Amino acid sequence: MRRKKKNGWIISFALLLLLWIFIPIYWVLKTSFAPEEEVWGMGLPRNPTLQNFRDIFTMGQGSMAEVTGAMLSISPTIVTPLGNTLFVAVLAVFLTMLVSSIAAFNLSRFAYRGKQVVSSYILFAYVFPPFILMVPITVMMRRLGLYDSLWGLMLAHLAYTIPFATYMLRGYFLGIPQELEEAAQVDGCSRFHSFIRITLPLAAPGLVTVAIFSFVLSWGDVIFATVLLNTQERYTLPIHIGFFLWGGEIIDPGRLAATALVAGLIPAVLYIAIQRFVQMGLVAGAVKG
Amino acid sequence: MVPRSLASNLSKWAYVLPVVIILGVILIVPLFFTLWMSLQYMPIGKAPTFVGGQNFFRILRDPIFYHSLQKTILYAFPAVGIKAVIGLLVALFLNQKFPARGVLRGIAIIPYALPLFIVCVFFWFVYDYRGVGNFLLKLVGLTPIHWLSYQYAMPAIILVNVWHGWPFFYLGFLAGLQAIPTELYESAEIDGASPWKQFTAITLPLLAPVFLIVCSLSLMWTMGDFVTPKMMTGGGPADATLTIPIATYKIAFLLGLNYPLASAYAMTILPIFIALIYFTVKRLG
Repeated sequence: MRRKKKNGWIISFALLLLLWIFIPIYWVLKTSFAPEEEVWGMGLPRNPTLQNFRDIFTMGQGSMAEVTGAMLSISPTIVTPLGNTLFVAVLAVFLTMLVSSIAAFNLSRFAYRGKQVVSSYILFAYVFPPFILMVPITVMMRRLGLYDSLWGLMLAHLAYTIPFATYMLRGYFLGIPQELEEAAQVDGCSRFHSFIRITLPLAAPGLVTVAIFSFVLSWGDVIFATVLLNTQERYTLPIHIGFFLWGGEIIDPGRLAATALVAGLIPAVLYIAIQRFVQMGLVAGAVKG
Repeated sequence: MVPRSLASNLSKWAYVLPVVIILGVILIVPLFFTLWMSLQYMPIGKAPTFVGGQNFFRILRDPIFYHSLQKTILYAFPAVGIKAVIGLLVALFLNQKFPARGVLRGIAIIPYALPLFIVCVFFWFVYDYRGVGNFLLKLVGLTPIHWLSYQYAMPAIILVNVWHGWPFFYLGFLAGLQAIPTELYESAEIDGASPWKQFTAITLPLLAPVFLIVCSLSLMWTMGDFVTPKMMTGGGPADATLTIPIATYKIAFLLGLNYPLASAYAMTILPIFIALIYFTVKRLG
């Protein structure tokens, strides 16, 4: 009897949880497959179509011009912003992993004066809310000639990714027994070599996880993309997607839904792929929101 | 001996140097630049001149500043509170043993796995007059509303933040729950403690450290959340969701192009963040 009651509880709570998570997702999913007449329907579309996905890659926000009465003569496709976002994220992750893994190794292995200061400095950077940097980063990038440039945006993203990656990797390296490296050193390996040969391969799941989280951080950046980018050819996905909203009204719901899915799918798939490595510590700060 | 240890210290520093320098350039220098800028007066297209604390006096006399401070608090505190409650409930639930638990654990992080700007787009559909929100209202027999109107905009964007952010608390709490030794519950069971008693006497106190860290991190990031209000309302309608990050953005880039004033805005609330950061860093470090 008691068992039955418990089962009832579990099932109803699970249902509630699923509804809470899936209602907004379901809506976007079904809208993306809906033909124009059915975009605001409640149920699954009766004539599901892939037209929206085809359109965002070939025509862009084409019907914006129709809806708003020739508002825009240009109808950008998702191709350029997708490429820009990918370019910035991949580059930022590459640079981040390069400098962060070495720094994290140093922080997890060596003892020296001033190490505590460096650790606190990185932790400070890690929890720092980036909106405060909006104005100075813009002014700085203008001075450096990196305003409205994907390179400048990538540099700004390092403010998210490097502290995060360094802090997380430090934790990972601390979890790998030092004795293994020492054994390698006894056999004649140099300190740096033992790091490359022994520690890095052992930390591979950690490295991949941190790289993916860094990638998602860069992918989801709105702040710096908003203030640093100024021309259409350089817009990233968050800016691109903003053009679907005109005066608070959704223009072209079908293509908007398709765009959102394409833009959200890559991070979500990456996340779920590494799900079993996701620990509390890692997730802390994956999104500074 | 001394020079040698110095040399060895320096060689160790070499590893962290790239990180220290890069962060210096994109974080510390801009921070000091903000401080310097906040003390200037700069008409558009002219060179800045030093005016001392004038921008700060202007802010402290400006009702909009207090308004945005109030909005920031009204946004962040309820959001963090609700996220903590949902996160705790789901963590307790998914810490039970039952089939399909693993699948649910995977599903539970989906909202967090989606970038916040995508979540905002999802909620454009929820809050559209023809969207999910009003569909659900009609389902329970209420009249449809304009979700992003002056009256409802704040709770509406809090819900967006909550929907996206609660798995962060869930993950923290779940890790905390799993770290509690089961023997504690077993001996409590033997002593005849009720489940509720076990919860308040064992679970809650042992979760407290995790709770503090997760809450202070989230509070800081929610107070600094630029994405949600920007994507959902742009701070409006009128000033209904004008939080500090949005106010800073508007002053600097939309309305006045007033970098000094925007810098002073950021500087004025920086102490709040520094206090929170100090508290968090001390616990994490």
